[in-house]
Amino acid sequence: MARRYDRNVTTFSPEGRLHQVEYAVEAINNAGTAVGILAVDGVVMAGEKQKVTKLLEAPKSSEKIYKLDSHVATVVAGLTSDANILINEARLAAQRYLYQYGEPIPVEQLVERVCNHKQLYTQYGGQRPFGVKFLFAGHDKHFGYQLYLSDPSGNYSGWKATCMGQNSNAGQSLLKNEYEETMTTDACVKLALKVLHKTMESLTADNLDLFSLKLVDGKMVHTVYAHDTVADLLAVVKEEQEAADRAAEAKAAQTLQSTTTTPA
Amino acid sequence: METTIGLVGKGFAIVAADRSAARSIVVFKQDEDKVLVLDKFKLLGSAGVAADSVAFTEYVQKNMALYEINSGLALSTRAASNFIRGELATALRRGPYQTNLLLGGYDAGDGASLYYIDYLASCNKVNFGCHGYASNFVLSILDREWKDGLTEEEGIEIIRKCIAELQVRFLVSLPKFTIKIVDHNGTRDLPQPVLAAA
Amino acid sequence: MRLESILDLGKKKVAAATDELGFALAGVKDPAAYSAANFSASYGATQDVKFAKGTTTLAFKFDGGVIVSVDSRSTMGNYIASQTVKKVIEINPFLLGTMAGGAADCSFWERNLGTQCRMYELRNKKRVSVAAASKMLANTMYRYRGRGLSMGTMICGWDASGPKLYYVDDDGTRLEGDVFCVGSGSTYAYGVIDSHLRRDLTVDEAVDLGRRAIAGAAHRDAMSGGWNNLYHVTEDGWRFLGQSGR
Repeated sequence: MARRYDRNVTTFSPEGRLHQVEYAVEAINNAGTAVGILAVDGVVMAGEKQKVTKLLEAPKSSEKIYKLDSHVATVVAGLTSDANILINEARLAAQRYLYQYGEPIPVEQLVERVCNHKQLYTQYGGQRPFGVKFLFAGHDKHFGYQLYLSDPSGNYSGWKATCMGQNSNAGQSLLKNEYEETMTTDACVKLALKVLHKTMESLTADNLDLFSLKLVDGKMVHTVYAHDTVADLLAVVKEEQEAADRAAEAKAAQTLQSTTTTPA
Repeated sequence: METTIGLVGKGFAIVAADRSAARSIVVFKQDEDKVLVLDKFKLLGSAGVAADSVAFTEYVQKNMALYEINSGLALSTRAASNFIRGELATALRRGPYQTNLLLGGYDAGDGASLYYIDYLASCNKVNFGCHGYASNFVLSILDREWKDGLTEEEGIEIIRKCIAELQVRFLVSLPKFTIKIVDHNGTRDLPQPVLAAA
Repeated sequence: MRLESILDLGKKKVAAATDELGFALAGVKDPAAYSAANFSASYGATQDVKFAKGTTTLAFKFDGGVIVSVDSRSTMGNYIASQTVKKVIEINPFLLGTMAGGAADCSFWERNLGTQCRMYELRNKKRVSVAAASKMLANTMYRYRGRGLSMGTMICGWDASGPKLYYVDDDGTRLEGDVFCVGSGSTYAYGVIDSHLRRDLTVDEAVDLGRRAIAGAAHRDAMSGGWNNLYHVTEDGWRFLGQSGR
């Protein structure tokens, strides 16, 4: 019905919508899940990697997580090739700011630059929008640790914990239940894995990138967790989850029993 | 001749400048304010060609206001000094702004600071500084008198000594000075020092 | 450069240089150098045209408003080109500009200022303040700095904040003040004004002071003279008080 209005990216439909932009957002909802959580002493991000055949050479660095400057990193969901363009833009913006002011760029300003770039493609004709969502983790002297989510329309928002991609609704509700503002980085790492465990069909250390950003002795430390570390953590989380599931099942069975035996 | 003097003390910075506006041999006025309040916690004293000083310092002031509106954050003194230096460097090869500057500021985390910036776009963080012919008379006083952790009274007294020396030894008459201070409360004007007794 | 050769240059259709500001410059290779060589205030023998540099203009504020007083002599070197120059430019009913330096530059740019002020009125539905008007002129001068313009002017007027007086010159300097004297005779005029100016002068006394200062300057400065034109600016705008004789 709206076919006339989804050919050109920049044409509003009679309902006042930009269909192409919405489709771009939709495309990413099928991409690998990524989660970000703010801790008191850092930021944690984790993302699902594409499953690959054993013939493919393993990438030299993370293909989900990119360092933008010493104090900002991002996790990508969507088209990696589109993301590369924006990541380059972000890195340039960060260095230009450093050149102009002699100080690292405030995190939100960097996010805004990238989003302004994305927005252009929802307004000027002839090109498609960037098919990427980003989670930005960063730290600055103004607001400390920060977490932002941006989508292809050029919108962005700040979060304490959020996720994007496949099954993000399930992840979101888990975060809503279990996130606490007093959590440490280690606790957040566990929660992140728990979220991915819930949203992904088969979570292993092979199809997962885990990252944290922390300020240690006045220096920003970016950590991409090693394969073995991730495997160990994952084992712990899975075990806990199974134990919890068993307990919940037992409890549910008990309640069911008690409800059936109690007269109405 | 245009003069600007500044120093840092414990939790404050003082920037002073003469108040004369002259052209060739005529003094036009004695109440020109050459210490611009850049924002709530920054002072910019200028010495140089009047038109350039006004044009450049106002340009900086407006750009910093724009930054604040855009980002909701104020630039730190360090960031401002770097921005100013960059603008001067860009202008240098296409008809420079002939203006020499002292930037004094107070930042919540880092305390007070003073930056010495000249029209050739050099920029240095200093404890005290002076631009113009006056530096020939004043730097020796500052070298001798400045010490770490100056109180406000001590700082003002040093500035008073500098001005008194200029009025005794400098050929050019500089009867009045603007003196401003910036600390954790923001910027404020200080009264003209009493010099007659000196 | 002789006049004929200037005309020759014109005939050869030297592409009229138009700078990035959209203002057509003289059709010579280097307008700034040409101006310096031909229109400077020195007494060089090769000079064809000289600006009306010799001048005394003054303006001062007092309780009764602003007095603007100027001479009317135009000189080209040691030749008196005119004794009846109007050195006060009526920008609009509330704004006056004075003329010192290049007569053409002053009248052109102050007329240009008049245009800008009228545009401001039409856009904002209120009269332009003297501060804003003088800032517009100073900005214009600053943009054309180093291009050989010659102008030393006082922008005088009355706006919502009362009587106002600004000095603006060709390098973009803009100063607010209570008294300004501009031109070769300015030092003599300052002598008279500084000795006798008080805020509480009556209008008659103030007018007389303005007249005496110009007379004093005209007496000592060979390049100032002619008639004395006097203006008085009040809340209701400026009023031309007439010419007084030599």
